[in-house]
Amino acid sequence: MSDNRFADLTLPTRAARSFSVAALAMAGLLTLAHDASAQSLLNVSYDPTRELYREVNEAFAAKWQADGHDAPDIETSHGGSGSQARAVIDGLDAQVVTLALASDIDKIAETGKLPEDWQSKLPHNSSPYTSTIVFLVREGNPKGLNDWGDLLKDGVEVITPNPKTSGGARWNYLAAWAWAERNGQDPQDFVGQLYRHVPVLDTGARGATTTFAQRGIGDVLLAWENEAYLALEEIGEDQFDIVVPSVSVLAEPPVALVEGNIADEDQRELATAYVDFLYSPEGQALAYKHFYRAWDDSAADPEDVARFPDLELVGIDHFGGWKKAQPEHFGDGGIFDQIYTNADTASK
Amino acid sequence: MPGLGLSAGITLTMLSIVVLLPIGALLMQGAQFGLANIWDTVHRERVWAALFLSFRMALFAALFNLVFGVLLAWVLVRYRFPGRRIIDAAVDLPFALPTAVAGIALTALYAPNGVFGSLAQQIGWKIAYTQWGIFLALVFVGLPFVTRTVQPVIEEIDPEVEEASATLGASRSHTLRHVILPMLTPAALTGFALALARAVGEYGSVIFIAGNIPLRTEIAPLLIVIQLEEFNYDAAGAIGIAMLLMSFAMLLVINLIQIFSRKRIGHV
Repeated sequence: MSDNRFADLTLPTRAARSFSVAALAMAGLLTLAHDASAQSLLNVSYDPTRELYREVNEAFAAKWQADGHDAPDIETSHGGSGSQARAVIDGLDAQVVTLALASDIDKIAETGKLPEDWQSKLPHNSSPYTSTIVFLVREGNPKGLNDWGDLLKDGVEVITPNPKTSGGARWNYLAAWAWAERNGQDPQDFVGQLYRHVPVLDTGARGATTTFAQRGIGDVLLAWENEAYLALEEIGEDQFDIVVPSVSVLAEPPVALVEGNIADEDQRELATAYVDFLYSPEGQALAYKHFYRAWDDSAADPEDVARFPDLELVGIDHFGGWKKAQPEHFGDGGIFDQIYTNADTASK
Repeated sequence: MPGLGLSAGITLTMLSIVVLLPIGALLMQGAQFGLANIWDTVHRERVWAALFLSFRMALFAALFNLVFGVLLAWVLVRYRFPGRRIIDAAVDLPFALPTAVAGIALTALYAPNGVFGSLAQQIGWKIAYTQWGIFLALVFVGLPFVTRTVQPVIEEIDPEVEEASATLGASRSHTLRHVILPMLTPAALTGFALALARAVGEYGSVIFIAGNIPLRTEIAPLLIVIQLEEFNYDAAGAIGIAMLLMSFAMLLVINLIQIFSRKRIGHV
């Protein structure tokens, strides 16, 4: 903030002088708050990975020190995937991003902070772990909800967050779409009817879990598989059952180094080791433990691996990748928006 | 005037940093987007529905708070009863409580499986996840504004004024309408305007209790968040500007009414 920007203002000169003194003081405060150290790392992640990264950070720090380095200062921030991406775009100094959707990282790449082909830099589409969408139903499955088609039965209430605000909810929507395609139904019509069974559209996945589990609203929650298991663990296995539909999506929450935010070679080494750790047997075991489907189960507890049933998984490639699917389905005036505007014209 | 330079400098700087610059940035964003594009963004059924809902619910909640807040202030000032101080302190709670906490607490109480929600359910009244829920949350966040602006004015009113009115032969309702209320009107209107302005932009508490179904219970601030999620800063700015203009128009009307009422009843 320079003085000459205010020079045009017709303030009394004394006022203008104190104005700039105050501005200088302000600027001083802001610089004080910013003190970067090379051995620090900020991982900007999305909501349901809190428990996972708490353990990953501890395990990685121990390994890093055992390899003869100083103790690193690793921080992780969590929030909605989209708003986290926005924070990085707007200047949050993250060296690593671990978000829910590749499209969110694409948006960061558009600013030039990481290369456009970031997703090919690491194995498995840069996704060290994957998940899928399953149904969480009330104990004993009283409404008999076993597959996507059952969700349209009369009187069934479905809880899912708003795909416009929640990354996870986009996967829910796409999973329903994929099932309809495979079962000879018009997917647009099926998805439209599905959302007419939704009484509450929460803004995020955790909010939807609360609405379903704590408020007792709805008969089925469409949830991340890892969130569903977490809900069983936290709230009680005697209250809910997990139902795995015949078709679901292969959700790939990718990770990437934010090249533009890496200060020096030391930090690059740390950040690279951190991301590689996610792919190591030890990191993969932690992913399994936190109910993610990972790739390498050599160090994992067999029980953690065995709990995942097989089902047909459809990847985002089937929908033409996020670059195509995002605007087509969830963009302004896209297919999801039409569900509600059409519903309204129909009722008039 | 001594000290004018320094104090004006500090206040203007602070005002610029926290208020004027952000609003200026919003208007800049809008200016780049263009008036025609702003209109196209706002002139859609879903956006109108959300704007209409936000402003309508804010108005209802502020009207409710106007009546209930003045009543509460009157009771707190004029009566002495056990627990008065605790209730007096509790009025400030909506200021202090994070709105998300308030929203979650209200939802827990008024959801169909909550304490009050289950009672309301028995007479077929759904509160949480309907427009009633939005109303409830907005009443909660706006309540202190009216009470706290009216309270000092009531304290200033000497009970002897009422006695004088009575000795001159006025009935109680006549005294209330022609002596007490005119004195309270300007402060009550200020409180009403504050409560209204607060409620229009409220996001944190409403989002948990509203249900957020497009065209039915989707508030305008949520639409802004949705646009931001799509990295559509222009559209988010456009809806923000529309809300700003509507709020400005409303506050202008309220201020005009206030000036008018001041003139009519003379100096208070």
